[in-house]
Amino acid sequence: MGIWKRSLQLIFILLFLSWLAACQNSEESDGSAEGDQTNEENTEEKNSSFNELEPVTLTVFDSDTNPDWVEDMDTPVGRKIKEDTGVTLEAEFDIEGGETKIPLMTASGDYPDLIVSKGASQLVDANALIDLAPLIEEHAPNIKEMLGEDGINRLKWSEDDPSIYVLTTSPVDNQALTPGYGAWIQHAVVKELGYPEITTLDDLKNVLKEYKELHPEIDGQPTIPLTMNTDSWRIQSSFLNSGFMMTGASDDGEYYIDPTSYEATLHYRRPVEKEVFKWWNEMNAEGLLDSEMFVQKSDQFDSKLSSGRVLATIGPDYLMNSAQEALRESGMEERMYGVYPVTLSEDYKSHTYQSNGLQVGWGISITEDCEDPVRAIKFLDYLASEETQIMLNWGIEGEHHEIVDGERVIPEEEWEKRNSDQDYLKKTGMGYNFARFAPRYGDGVLDSTGQPFTINTRELAMENQTDVEKEVLEAYGVELWQDLFPLSDEFPVKPWGAAYNISIPANSELQTINQRALDITKQLVPKAILEKPDQFDAVWDEYMQALESANIEKAEEEYTKLIQEKVELWSN
Amino acid sequence: MDVVEKREKIKKSRLFWKTLKSQKMLYAMSLPFVVWVFVFNYLPVWGWTMAFQNYIPGNPFWQQEWIGFHHFIQLFQDERFFLALRNTLAMSFLGLLFGFTIPIVFAILLNEVRHSLFKRITQTVTYLPHFVSWVVVAGIVTKVLSTDGGIINDLLVGLGVLDQPYQFMAEGKWFWAIVTISDIWKEMGWNAIIFLAAIAGLDPQLYEAAKVDGASRFRQIWHITLPGIRPTILVVLILNIGHLIQIGFEKQMLLSNSLVIEYAEVLELYALNYGIGLGQFSYGTAIGIFNSVVSIFLLLLANGIFRRYSNQSVM
Repeated sequence: MGIWKRSLQLIFILLFLSWLAACQNSEESDGSAEGDQTNEENTEEKNSSFNELEPVTLTVFDSDTNPDWVEDMDTPVGRKIKEDTGVTLEAEFDIEGGETKIPLMTASGDYPDLIVSKGASQLVDANALIDLAPLIEEHAPNIKEMLGEDGINRLKWSEDDPSIYVLTTSPVDNQALTPGYGAWIQHAVVKELGYPEITTLDDLKNVLKEYKELHPEIDGQPTIPLTMNTDSWRIQSSFLNSGFMMTGASDDGEYYIDPTSYEATLHYRRPVEKEVFKWWNEMNAEGLLDSEMFVQKSDQFDSKLSSGRVLATIGPDYLMNSAQEALRESGMEERMYGVYPVTLSEDYKSHTYQSNGLQVGWGISITEDCEDPVRAIKFLDYLASEETQIMLNWGIEGEHHEIVDGERVIPEEEWEKRNSDQDYLKKTGMGYNFARFAPRYGDGVLDSTGQPFTINTRELAMENQTDVEKEVLEAYGVELWQDLFPLSDEFPVKPWGAAYNISIPANSELQTINQRALDITKQLVPKAILEKPDQFDAVWDEYMQALESANIEKAEEEYTKLIQEKVELWSN
Repeated sequence: MDVVEKREKIKKSRLFWKTLKSQKMLYAMSLPFVVWVFVFNYLPVWGWTMAFQNYIPGNPFWQQEWIGFHHFIQLFQDERFFLALRNTLAMSFLGLLFGFTIPIVFAILLNEVRHSLFKRITQTVTYLPHFVSWVVVAGIVTKVLSTDGGIINDLLVGLGVLDQPYQFMAEGKWFWAIVTISDIWKEMGWNAIIFLAAIAGLDPQLYEAAKVDGASRFRQIWHITLPGIRPTILVVLILNIGHLIQIGFEKQMLLSNSLVIEYAEVLELYALNYGIGLGQFSYGTAIGIFNSVVSIFLLLLANGIFRRYSNQSVM
């Protein structure tokens, strides 16, 4: 047969061509550093300050989605920012946390001016980012004021390399009014059952069971007692996180960090978490779990919740927003959700409110390709200034809020719009649209006049509640959902921050094992849940063994080292 | 060397230069395309060197550390890789088998339809899905197979085939079938167009003669239509074999979920997750090289079988 002869020929041709290519390559690499066109115009004005207001376009890549972004910053707030700084942002928002795009950038060597990343080790290894420390020192008084000496110290990359590559975009001193994680239960359910006490998973199960028996159908469609959003990465933040959230630990990503020894364990390997997942298995066996839970896409989840026939879900607050808004808009207020601090048993407390201190690791960076880093840092500093921070939260004075007796007040009709118009942020440019690009003041922080930076004050939050919500809260004897939860003053601040924020060295074994462990987890934990109850233990053992053969113990050791290094670095 | 042979050789090379001269415009016209193919299809092969290095982006080539076959060894020790390989082979084979034969059958059936309005409407309706992107198709498939009001489950339960809705998307053993069937749904009408055109080009006299001879419609298909479009079938098969190389991963990525990943992960997806996804460019390249090896193997195999039966060859 001529096949072998031919394939041999093919190989020789390939070899020859690759030799040819080798000669070409040296020329090619020179051309790759072409900067952004818009920035080239600006190279001469290297020292431009805001006073001169030379218009400039900065390209920015953000790892998170933003449906509210308006091109060319054509919103009231966007225009004001453009007017003040002369900067137009040309933004690209990613839908999968930059997991593919950022590696592609490092591979090609072409970067936007600014990158918002969730962990920057790859970028740092590729020498893509510039050291922000001198820039902040010289040009960013507002950022310095906001973060403080300690905060800036936390931004340092490592013991060996004290440069600052990533400026955090997390809220500073945040005490969120809406609990970050919990069991979300329809008001109609608790109301009809006479406001039962719901603190453990078993309580939750009983409530759902009872209500389902009373109402097997809602609006003519079968009742779904419990479902979850498990589409791609969301499976971690909703379903998989329930393991530690229900057993008295706060969110450290895939690992559980022992608060005294700083030892890291893959959190599923804690014996107690098996109980939580066993509960899920029981729920499924009793027909209380949505059979599509692990299959549905995010929009299916939203539409199910919005139809009002899902009694409860467990997860983070940000996965609830669109359904809550949709329910409110369609007037189904008794089908909206309240959030309860459910744990495995009375022995555990919900650690949702445990403080990480200033969260670093995820944030914005200036790249090598940025022609005018000074201008860029000044822009970020502008965003962090008191005036801008107020504008991002409250809008423009006279348009979105008024000042009455020296205090900011949001007029009734603006409230109306804020609450019912899903596109309010898009139309105004407020909120997370720009706040995401710089560090920001969290909920409850006061400005120089003693007023809160964000609009999320207790009073306003209460004003904003629906009548049904008020009724439910009153029945539980509290004013806000927050009041049901143990707050941050009950817990020590975690000296390692949040473990998921710690960058793992690119190309390391730890990184591969983590990915492997996550793949195994995503496959076997749902499998265990869907098994018959007598098979659960067997699948769980199989899962534990799969983790061990993926060398997870090695990864835990490495991770422990990283945590300890970080604690060391920050305590100096 | 023999004098005659030498003369032959000189003659031949003279002939070559002569043709080159006389056809220089043709050569000049094809040059840009040769360059294009070279730049986009052959130059990137240079990147394969990465697989033998501990590649760090941003560093110049000579500063990379050479580590030989380390990444390949790592690859062959990973059981997940073999799963991905199995899935790749299975789904490309199914894709070729059904994705190729069904449009032919469909075209013949459609051709036999007498009602011309119905025929035209059917043709339009079946090729429209070709223009729908996989993201949307994945959404439709998930909805259709849903246990919560999905049409398939409603139908099966309504007909009494199933007692309760069946979770198709959660069962690994169904995944290959789902991918293949949705691929057929999406591309069948489009791929049938070329066969319909070929059938339309057949001489009606042949059918009339057959009818006179008393051939049934089935006989007409067997003895006239099929032999008539044989050249077209062969050309399309050659093209399809060429496309075996591009197994793609969109379908698998969009239709899969964590429960069926064991059956859904193809080599390209594996390379994406463990190579680019983790910033391990070298490892990703090693997977990519192996993917190419598999593709070439598939191509040679298909070509071999093809040649045995048709005495024609792609290469």
